[in-house]
Amino acid sequence: MYSDVDRDALHVRAADAAYAIGPAAPRESYLNAVRLIEVARRSGATAIHPGYGFLSENADFAQAVADAGLVFVVPAAAVQRLLGEKTAARRLARAAEVPVAEGTEPLTDVAAARAAAANIGYPVLLKPAGGGGGKGMRMVRKEEEFETAWRAATGEATTAFGQPALYIERAIPNARHIEMQILADNIGNVVWLGERDCSVQRRHQKLIEETPGPSVDDRLREELGAAAVRIAKAAKYENAGTVEFLVDEGRRFYFLEVNTRLQVEHPITEMVTGLDLVALQLRIAGGEPLQLAQGDVVRSGAAIECRITAEDPRAGFLPAGGLITLVREPAGPGVRVDSALYAGMTVPTEYDPLLAKVIAHGRDRIEAIARMRRALEEMRVSGVPTSLAFHRSALFDQDFVTGRYDTGFVERWDARVAPDLSEGAISAAALAAVLATRARGERHALPPADPPWARAAREDALR
Amino acid sequence: MRYEVTLDDRSVRVELGDYGRFTVDDRAVAGDVRETVRGRQWSITLEGESHEITVVTHDPLRLDVDGHDVRAAVVDERALRANRGAAGMRTGRVELRAPMPGLLKAVHVKEGDRVAADAPLATLEAMKMENELLAPSAGRIAKIRATAGAKVEAGAVLIVIASE
Repeated sequence: MYSDVDRDALHVRAADAAYAIGPAAPRESYLNAVRLIEVARRSGATAIHPGYGFLSENADFAQAVADAGLVFVVPAAAVQRLLGEKTAARRLARAAEVPVAEGTEPLTDVAAARAAAANIGYPVLLKPAGGGGGKGMRMVRKEEEFETAWRAATGEATTAFGQPALYIERAIPNARHIEMQILADNIGNVVWLGERDCSVQRRHQKLIEETPGPSVDDRLREELGAAAVRIAKAAKYENAGTVEFLVDEGRRFYFLEVNTRLQVEHPITEMVTGLDLVALQLRIAGGEPLQLAQGDVVRSGAAIECRITAEDPRAGFLPAGGLITLVREPAGPGVRVDSALYAGMTVPTEYDPLLAKVIAHGRDRIEAIARMRRALEEMRVSGVPTSLAFHRSALFDQDFVTGRYDTGFVERWDARVAPDLSEGAISAAALAAVLATRARGERHALPPADPPWARAAREDALR
Repeated sequence: MRYEVTLDDRSVRVELGDYGRFTVDDRAVAGDVRETVRGRQWSITLEGESHEITVVTHDPLRLDVDGHDVRAAVVDERALRANRGAAGMRTGRVELRAPMPGLLKAVHVKEGDRVAADAPLATLEAMKMENELLAPSAGRIAKIRATAGAKVEAGAVLIVIASE
């Protein structure tokens, strides 16, 4: 299925059948449940796989799909509803003896909320009760900021999830974001496949994920796996899912939420387990029992994923659409690229800026890093700025290389550090810059138009 | 044709001659230049080293240099001249302006001196490099507006030459 601006997208060409579902605006296409179900019926499909965006965690849509007599390749609507209500999910976790960060039930009264926050102790997080994924979440560092933050978060929660209620949770400083992949069939079998460290994120959007987590030892892994299985069983979970945790500096872990769908970063788990998660999702949705016991899950080596987005890391990760004029994707042993890129593609500005996922697998973390560095260096994208500059330097960052990073990694990354080029590379680059400018037939007058990046470069030079 | 090229924090002078000859910072460079994607990508070998430069975006100019992201800017000789001369021409006075912000390291002339075109007048440290600022035209130094050791802004008038 595709919206009007996605007519030329790669998935349309790769598909056996393709159906237009409406204009670019998500509300009129990818979020239009009635339209999606109608197209599914017309095509003769018996099941819908929602991928990892848009309606993939929408319980109402899950219900509508079931009512239409179709199979939805995610947990049943009731399970989605239960886990989508974040404080209900916290209660369920507590009942399953999984630690949760100290917090409250949904609140709407600001005075009561303020008292509760004081009781928990600052810093605290305000989170929408009606939905997750970092949307509408706010950190409050001291009491004076509470009311302003509360009002803003309430507004955001209403816009994003249709309900103003928030709950308060104790903030865990320098935490790592660790998630556990699970698989559950329709007859109560649940296995865990291993964790992913997703701490390299910006505004709760992940940029690099890896498995195994460099800070996770065997004991913690077993504990997280067992905790995830307990939650899945308590929720009567079906299909693939991800249980998210925060792990503090003392390796204590706290349940965050359950993502009732496939994750963007699922390939790294596929690389180390050799399992095809999407194929398994389809088998489970078709009613097959898991052919896999916990003891059959073997993890081998380490895998890393870099999400290449159409964002300029040297301009505050400003996203940009445009025409892709050249693409070269890396290959070689242990390198996998899941990509929407091709030369001639127009990056739409209506959706998420994700262009491609580069995944590297190695016998150990050191080999995976080496392969990822090589893959990123080999990759070329021309036409829009991409996050490659960030990823290339992050893979050499001491904090990353030693595995001692946390969710503050991207904030600390210095966009101003210029690459260290050889004299030959500088000469070649200077010459190419001239040829590129001549090719465009442009004449730059002095002083040049003063774009912010040029100013920043000069200010750095004067430091 | 001569060009001032800025690559992140470096400044490089490039001169394109006839028959594919070119110099980088006044050194002749023996290079084999191939355009691998029209107007977008070049393969350049220099003394056995192979470099691949890809234009990421044209405006502003962003390059991928052997797998490194580089911000670039190119100013050609005509633009440099036009800018240097524009303000002064009508009055028979030519101004030497700072082509970029930086630290004025030295002024090599004093008021009243006679200079030839392209004579070095001052040294400007910018982009971590020392750049010689040359006389835009021959003449007599009418006024020195900046002192060595001062920080100057792009476009600031440093020296005024009265053309003769």
